Amino acid sequence: MMESRYFWSSVFLLALGTIVIRFSIIGMSSKIKINDRVKELFSYIPSAILPAFIAPAVFFDQGHVSLLFGKERLVVLFFASMVCFVTRSTLATIGMGLIVLYLVSLIG
Amino acid sequence: MIPITAGVIPFGAIVGTVCSEAQFSFLQTMGMNLFVYAGASQLAATELMMKNTTTLIVVLTGLIINLRFLLYSAAMSPFVQKSSLVVKMASSYLLTDQSYATMTAHQEYFKTSSDAVRFYFGGALCMNLVWHASVAGGFAFGNFAPAAWALDFAVPLSFVALVIPTLKSRKYVLVAVFSSIVSVILHTMPYRTGLIITALLSIGLAALITRKKASS
Repeated sequence: MMESRYFWSSVFLLALGTIVIRFSIIGMSSKIKINDRVKELFSYIPSAILPAFIAPAVFFDQGHVSLLFGKERLVVLFFASMVCFVTRSTLATIGMGLIVLYLVSLIG
Repeated sequence: MIPITAGVIPFGAIVGTVCSEAQFSFLQTMGMNLFVYAGASQLAATELMMKNTTTLIVVLTGLIINLRFLLYSAAMSPFVQKSSLVVKMASSYLLTDQSYATMTAHQEYFKTSSDAVRFYFGGALCMNLVWHASVAGGFAFGNFAPAAWALDFAVPLSFVALVIPTLKSRKYVLVAVFSSIVSVILHTMPYRTGLIITALLSIGLAALITRKKASS
């Protein structure tokens, strides 16, 4: 079990901050109007932030398939991105990604 | 609705599996799930807690991921503008990538705001139940998954599944590519400050792109 005080204080603060973000615009909805320009800027948040979590985790991973210089996860990630782009399916993206990584790692 | 709910299942299963690998108890896993209720941030926070990272970094990292709820909150706000505080709070809590996606996909069918709110709560509550069940299932399964399956790779894969559908034009792709490159360059900066700087620079780039369009 994860150390209790550390775990719950992290979870509590994360939960509190998250509900503040979720409630922010909804809570102010009767007082202020969000213009389209700001809404458009908000729509860029996922593409600005999520890749910063994906790229380093995959780029710096050292695998063991020498044919791909140990960068098999990077190659499989590109493949999975294509699968996601075409299918728009979470299941297909994760499933195909894991299966192809497994198959590729058999080579090495 | 059904295909989106189906997308929640593998994502929830991954969260449950990662929590069991992090040696969380079942109570901790489900408690985090109930209070935070935002899978991507739970994944990032869990990975950091496994490395005993300070609470401040764990919380900040999770909140950066959850900044995208600003977008969802803004999208939901016109529908609940005249609703009671309880409805506003409940609809805030239930905001997720999936409930937002379902809402925007059906926007033109709603005749009144109360129609929209009813539709929203129906879908969001359904997703909530499926989510908790999937995490619980993943937690149970996590103890048995063979190491050869490289399930840790499912974490970046589930982030891919979140971000790709949001890339609506080349401009979004540009911001995503920029964010990837900057994050790799700044990766060695201490206390994950590279992540914060990447987020700020990428949002700055988005501001620049959207401004250009407005003036032309």
